[in-house]
Amino acid sequence: MIWPHGIVLFVIVPLLAGAINVALHSFPRLQRWVVVVALVVNLVLAVATLGEVYRGESNPGAVLVSQMGNWPAPFGITLVVDALSAVMLCVSAAVTLGVYLYALSQLERRFAGGYFHAVYPMLLLGVNFSFITGDLFNLFVAFEVMLMASYVLLCAGTTRPQLRQAYKYIILNVVASTLFVMACGFIYGHLGTLNLADLARLAAAGQIPRTAVPAILLLLVVFASKTAAFPVWYWLPDSYPTMPPAIGGLFSGLLTKVGVYALIRVFLMVFGADPDIRFIALTSLLVSSAGTMFIGVLGAVSSHGVRRILSIHVISQVGYMILGVGLGTELALAATVLYMIQHMIVKTTLFLCCGMMEKYAGGDELGQLGGLLRRDGWLAAMFLIAALSLAGLPPLSGFFGKFLLLIESLRLVPSAAGYALATVALLTSLLTLLSMVKIWSFAFWSPAPARVATALVPQRRGAAMAAIGVMVALALSVGLGAGAYLKVATVAARGILDSGDYIRAVLGESSLIGSAPLARANNAGEGEVE
Amino acid sequence: MSLLMSITVAVLFGAGIFLLSGRDLKGVVMGVFLLGHAANLAIVTTGGSPIGRTPAILPEYGLLSGDEADPLPQALVLTAIVIGFAMQAFLLTVLVVTWRRAGSIRVDVLRDMPKDEYGPLESERRGAS
Repeated sequence: MIWPHGIVLFVIVPLLAGAINVALHSFPRLQRWVVVVALVVNLVLAVATLGEVYRGESNPGAVLVSQMGNWPAPFGITLVVDALSAVMLCVSAAVTLGVYLYALSQLERRFAGGYFHAVYPMLLLGVNFSFITGDLFNLFVAFEVMLMASYVLLCAGTTRPQLRQAYKYIILNVVASTLFVMACGFIYGHLGTLNLADLARLAAAGQIPRTAVPAILLLLVVFASKTAAFPVWYWLPDSYPTMPPAIGGLFSGLLTKVGVYALIRVFLMVFGADPDIRFIALTSLLVSSAGTMFIGVLGAVSSHGVRRILSIHVISQVGYMILGVGLGTELALAATVLYMIQHMIVKTTLFLCCGMMEKYAGGDELGQLGGLLRRDGWLAAMFLIAALSLAGLPPLSGFFGKFLLLIESLRLVPSAAGYALATVALLTSLLTLLSMVKIWSFAFWSPAPARVATALVPQRRGAAMAAIGVMVALALSVGLGAGAYLKVATVAARGILDSGDYIRAVLGESSLIGSAPLARANNAGEGEVE
Repeated sequence: MSLLMSITVAVLFGAGIFLLSGRDLKGVVMGVFLLGHAANLAIVTTGGSPIGRTPAILPEYGLLSGDEADPLPQALVLTAIVIGFAMQAFLLTVLVVTWRRAGSIRVDVLRDMPKDEYGPLESERRGAS
């Protein structure tokens, strides 16, 4: 069988597709087939991986490990897929495929020309690589690949608003990456290893020197800014709305979630065993989550463009995820994973719906929209399902994640803090519903503004609606089959909170007793001063 | 040596942040580059000073003396430099495109630009279709 080394394909397939498409620059039709094939192969691989990793709800998930070049673990490059990675790979594969199918029919030439079809798989490469990498430095490299692709997609089309906002996005991310690489260097200097399993082993053995803690907490700042969490969220609401909805949907579906994944991986699994780091990281995440939820939703309520409302909402929903990470219990983490799954699908769907709405109205300002219920009943139905899922009405997918997070936050030990968080979460939910109703009543219920009454009709509507339909069906399945999804999410959460399997799978059976080979050698040489 | 490196890193960081706070996007971009270089130097410093030490060579060519500078931070920095190089090339390209589309790369001018205008495309400028 191809396992466990088949996980390399998550890097190889998108990389090949991207490289081939650079060469096929002047054959756009062929380029599209290359990307479609790559994305389908990637989705099949991801589902197969999840099937390989998930062994029933009462068993721990399998951990697939592939050592590059057969170098033993803390020295070489390690690729690891555990249950959480497998879940994230699956959802991101589905989302990238859905968005691409939509973009094929709806993305204007201005944005989709040139190297779009070469960069698109590269973004997937970065996302996949950050989910399967087993060491901190390669996480940095994966982030960079992903961000580089995202810069290109962000600027594709080079409209003035895009260029103006691109600097905010690029410069914040470059500065965060600079901090990331410095943190990597310092952590290596203190601990002598960057392998996640090896770091987790050191943390579990209580061997993390206090001098290394600031460098580790620097990672918290880095990941928080990548996820657009409370004090460092400002780059998102201006840059996302400048992109065409297909690309904006892809970004808000994938990129911030990679940041949340990194937070979970590094602060719950790797350094979760160190009481000081755990306390500081989780407390700051809890404080940040309240601000993130609330600021995001306030921004959404006060905005008047559909793209902008949806973009700012990303921040608010990231707040729920951070809340789950900050609570750090098994149920809360499972709820976070469930919420991430549903958010990636639903948020992307909403952006795609927004794209179709713009095709009817010629713009995304609420004042321009109207009369869409009559003009396109299917679009109205799709939007309604996705919007109510986002707000979390009970039979739909957003409900279950939020409900479990509320239960867990009420169990938080200083109960006043728990109640405060739950209140903010509930209020946010209510305001989310309000802002969704705002879009609904402007775009679908109100009569069409006179000047665009019937002028615009989207081209190739069928293909786009098929792509949206598949995404909505996925979103519905998360809601109606929440039990099944929650089982997988629980296994993923357990794999994070009990890192023993992960460490043993990467470093070998005896690793939890042995000593760190590299840390000793490095720390010995470190004390010297000129 | 470590002290010298630390001072260099601090100066680079200070200069980078000073440039970042300017209004000229060219300066802002240069500031970002300086921050990257400062980070790379800081990482090299964590590997210990290489002065007076033998380079790390695989044991087939003779035993390790135990006196080598740690090669891994150098490898990390090498990767970071390559990534940073790509980033710089891209940022400078965006800067040039901005200049062509908007006619300015000053932050305050860009901010006051009309929102809905796309600015001329390359092909439109040359009078082609």
